[in-house]
Amino acid sequence: MLRKEQNDLLTQTGPGTPMGRLFRSYWIPALLPEELPENDCPPVRVKLLSERLIAFRDTNGRLGLIDEFCAHRGISLWFGRNEECGLRCPYHGWKYDVTGQCVDMPSEPEQSNFAQKVKLKSYPLVERGGVLWTYLGPPDTQPPLPEWEFATVPSSHSFMSKRLQECNWLQALEGGIDSSHVSFLHRGDLNTDPLFKGARGNQYNLADLRPVFEVVESPGGLYIGARRNTEDGRYYWRITQWVMPTFTMIAPRGNHSVHGHFWIPIDDENCWTWSFDYHPTRPLTDDEVAAMRAGKGIHAKVFPGSYRPVANTDNDYLMDRAAQKAGKTYSGIAGFAMQDQSLQESMGPVVDRTKETLVATDSGIIMARQRLLRAIKAFIDEGIAPPGVDLVHQRVRSAAIVLPKDQPYKDGAREALIAQPGVAPASV
Amino acid sequence: MQSESARMSSAAEARFRLPTPATVVRTMTVSALDPASDDVVARLAVGSWKNARFFPASAVAGRTARLLDDIANADLVVMVATAGGDASAAAAIGDICSDRRVHTATFVVRAAAVSDEALSRTLGQVRPWSLMVVIASADDYLEDILRSFR
Repeated sequence: MLRKEQNDLLTQTGPGTPMGRLFRSYWIPALLPEELPENDCPPVRVKLLSERLIAFRDTNGRLGLIDEFCAHRGISLWFGRNEECGLRCPYHGWKYDVTGQCVDMPSEPEQSNFAQKVKLKSYPLVERGGVLWTYLGPPDTQPPLPEWEFATVPSSHSFMSKRLQECNWLQALEGGIDSSHVSFLHRGDLNTDPLFKGARGNQYNLADLRPVFEVVESPGGLYIGARRNTEDGRYYWRITQWVMPTFTMIAPRGNHSVHGHFWIPIDDENCWTWSFDYHPTRPLTDDEVAAMRAGKGIHAKVFPGSYRPVANTDNDYLMDRAAQKAGKTYSGIAGFAMQDQSLQESMGPVVDRTKETLVATDSGIIMARQRLLRAIKAFIDEGIAPPGVDLVHQRVRSAAIVLPKDQPYKDGAREALIAQPGVAPASV
Repeated sequence: MQSESARMSSAAEARFRLPTPATVVRTMTVSALDPASDDVVARLAVGSWKNARFFPASAVAGRTARLLDDIANADLVVMVATAGGDASAAAAIGDICSDRRVHTATFVVRAAAVSDEALSRTLGQVRPWSLMVVIASADDYLEDILRSFR
């Protein structure tokens, strides 16, 4: 459990908050490229870390992410006209370029240079690896562009989706690093989901429903290892990576693609769940991509435009009690993604961690909270860049591996936990 | 009309959650497995705890039936080891906990200079007897973990 002030510290990410300042140290996913599909396409509202912004692609293909509201009288530029290298407010014609600079003020006298003195807040918006990334921090501390492996492999090797999650980011992240729920909540799907089934390692999961967990500090955050017994007296390890503040990567199965998430705060009660699947050494097959688009694996079927899951709180997540009773699903909810999301949203917009009853298998979650609290303190008090900003912390992989019983997995899987171009992931 | 799920997971409905947390009376023992872990266990013992008892390595080393019974007479048994130290006492504690179906967790402090081989020796001793292992570079994480278990 946490004290209330600790819970507030970790969950509040608006401007000026300590965790908000920490989040602003990183490049974060903002949009999928399909949301700004062509030059001069309609602008898109973007809310990140409780800041309301508007995104657009101008006449020359440059990307902009600026204050949503016109400097004049506060009109939303969502109504704006994207034309001639800028976004023009339809109320009085003020136009802004991708840097937020006002470049035309037709309501003022013709020789007036007042427009030059008006500039909206803006942030960089950059495309890399199938994602439009932004950085909301101070320009003088802007880090290099991200180098997560999924964003650096050829586009044919990678798939990204996003979905709206209607709860605070932290309870969603904690679900992502909590390996102990897999044996219960996702029990029905390991052998049926096309993106998981058929791997030899699945036998260990199904034969041993009580894995033992081992949490180890990593340079970027934590390794969370789950071990199960093999038939020959060794341990089968599944090692999840957590890199601060919100990147996770789950151990692969067989030759399936590797996957993971980011949870990016929209505000304190909502977040975007970004889910990636990629393979370092081969393109994804048409069947794999079709399955991901259909909401298999860690992805969910969403409504176009809003990216809200089709199974959502408004329809009780399409709960199927008959399937629950028949053992087809544990919670009555179909699919990995919504099995997690439905329960995390049910905790409430911001779960009250003063009332928890944690157990030893929650040690990964406890360590992650403490790592974040320490990182915030070091960042705010001493200006120390938090883990995860350094590109070395981003060039990582998860791993599934069989090791001798006494070997530390951080040692035995050392090479496997680093992204190596052209090298297949460690998988069973 | 809003679904029940939508209504009940809203901020408005969160106000009506029962204000008092569940009643939990959890007892915990914390045992140092080697002399190098004594300092951290002794520091923790001085703090204010509701239902936690602390045992130094010297007591654990004796492995008397009465002591083992005392250690295992808890809902959660935490063992503390230093990477490279002799954590063989974990076997005696773990054995009795296994018989009683008591949950065990081991916290291993690994200083930067400790080799993988030394850590490996310690893990070989604690892993068979621990349902959860945490390896950390600093022992102050241990108090945070223990405080999380109210």
